[in-house]
Amino acid sequence: MALLPTVVKSPYYMHLVIMTCDNIMLGLSFSLLYSTGLLTMAAGAFWGIGAYTSALLVMKAGLSFWIALPLSGMCSVLIALGTGAVITRIPGIAFLIQTMVISLIIPEVVGYSEFLGGWGGLLGIPGPSPIGPLRFVGKAPYYYLVVVLLMLNVLAFAALYSSRVGRAWRSIRVNAQLAETLGINLYRFRLLAFVISSAAAGLAGSFYAHYFQALEPGMFTAFKSINVQIFAILGGLNYYVVGPAVGAAIMTFVPELLRVGKEIEPVITGAVLILLVIFLPGGVLSLPERLGSFSWGLMRRTKSDGAPAKPGLYKGD
Amino acid sequence: MSDVSFDVSEGEIVGLIGPNGAGKSTMFNLISGFFPVNSGKITYAGKEITGLKAHAVARLGIGRAFQAPTLFMNLSVFENVFNGFHLRYQKSFWKSFFHTKGALEEEKRARSSVMEILEFMGLAQLKSVQARNLPHGHQKVLGVCAAMAIKPSLLLLDEPLSGMHPEEAATMGEIINNIRASGVTIILVEHNVGAVMRLCNRIVVLTQGRKIAEGMPREIAENEEVIEAYLGADDEEEFD
Repeated sequence: MALLPTVVKSPYYMHLVIMTCDNIMLGLSFSLLYSTGLLTMAAGAFWGIGAYTSALLVMKAGLSFWIALPLSGMCSVLIALGTGAVITRIPGIAFLIQTMVISLIIPEVVGYSEFLGGWGGLLGIPGPSPIGPLRFVGKAPYYYLVVVLLMLNVLAFAALYSSRVGRAWRSIRVNAQLAETLGINLYRFRLLAFVISSAAAGLAGSFYAHYFQALEPGMFTAFKSINVQIFAILGGLNYYVVGPAVGAAIMTFVPELLRVGKEIEPVITGAVLILLVIFLPGGVLSLPERLGSFSWGLMRRTKSDGAPAKPGLYKGD
Repeated sequence: MSDVSFDVSEGEIVGLIGPNGAGKSTMFNLISGFFPVNSGKITYAGKEITGLKAHAVARLGIGRAFQAPTLFMNLSVFENVFNGFHLRYQKSFWKSFFHTKGALEEEKRARSSVMEILEFMGLAQLKSVQARNLPHGHQKVLGVCAAMAIKPSLLLLDEPLSGMHPEEAATMGEIINNIRASGVTIILVEHNVGAVMRLCNRIVVLTQGRKIAEGMPREIAENEEVIEAYLGADDEEEFD
């Protein structure tokens, strides 16, 4: 993995790889919330919040990217705490709709605010300041940075899933009533998941702002959140870590390689989502199981999740 | 429900009986915090618990097993009980997050306690079976196991014998006696009046949300009003 930039010479493909990593972080943040039974439509919005916070802290407050990065995560945390305190109280479809509302409002707020750059967006966002000999020129340094962020993200999430917090989340997803009878404070654990998931999305956004060096409100509309949802569903919702990785890779590479125009992309993603839910609700990773031939060790679900579940989307299992 | 008042002393098994719709399960939902209480008071160990949320009630040591098997159906028997250990962990969130030695040891102890519970309840051999694949009787036992995981001092059992054939019912009766012997107070809602008579120290009879009698099993069996309430109700309710 560390040698990838020496093998892949084309900046175009390196760009796709970097975008895949950024998207995987978003997919992970979606599946973290799914692990507690919440479907979010706000992943893109918190990505945008992270991106703008970071860009503004660097451009207007003159901070270094290395300080702006954690601060943008903090900003996502604060906004997630504020909104989550209200919206995680009622799970299910109400939560889905309220997160949808968040992802509709945030781009509007940014668009109508002169201070935040308006509809024209922010241009010329500086890249990260060099650390030692590593200067952020070309694709390779960004690739290493995003891989490090992704690894930290995966490690943190894996640690959560295998700790008692992950078990509490899973209990809530599988049977909220029983979980509560067993002493699990549903609201607190849902809020915790929402905050952590938003922080991860915010960090991914912060990276993107300084990598792409331009932002505009159209980048994190509801379509972004729908895309994130597809990463997780396409890979397989029951695979909290590998699922979003596979889904994000497919959804980043395939439309690009097919040279799909930006205008019809929403049509394609919409069609993908519908086809998935109908024909492959368990995601790509459920294919080996479905074909019944073999199942790969790596792709198996988190061990403590027990035997393969019947994939059930939008209806709790 | 109105005008219902009863006490349960430590170490007792109190039966809550009454025809369908008498409010037995409602009573449980009120105690365990699933339904809001409009008026009246519920106290537990000298503390008022009226209006507490279900998780807060559990934190005080009130466990509950549901009438319809309410389990983590796609998890194993072991994990069903393991997930009930949430309240027992002393180590902080961060220690558990970083998988410190202490947190891992705590988890290891929890795992062996899970096995103790499963052995106590006779489910140890089935520990890796998925809950949904268990026969009904075992599912009900597992529901009680999960409730035991929170180390309750008061256990609410909602029709633990329903839908069981006589052998399973006998096993469950034994389990209930064992749990009581281990020092847990039990309130039991049950349709099988014969079993209630055998298991309970005291019985409270409800009809249509009111208490009509309270007393020793023998007294209840001879109580005119109780007999009338049962005869007047659906014919599936009967003394046996």
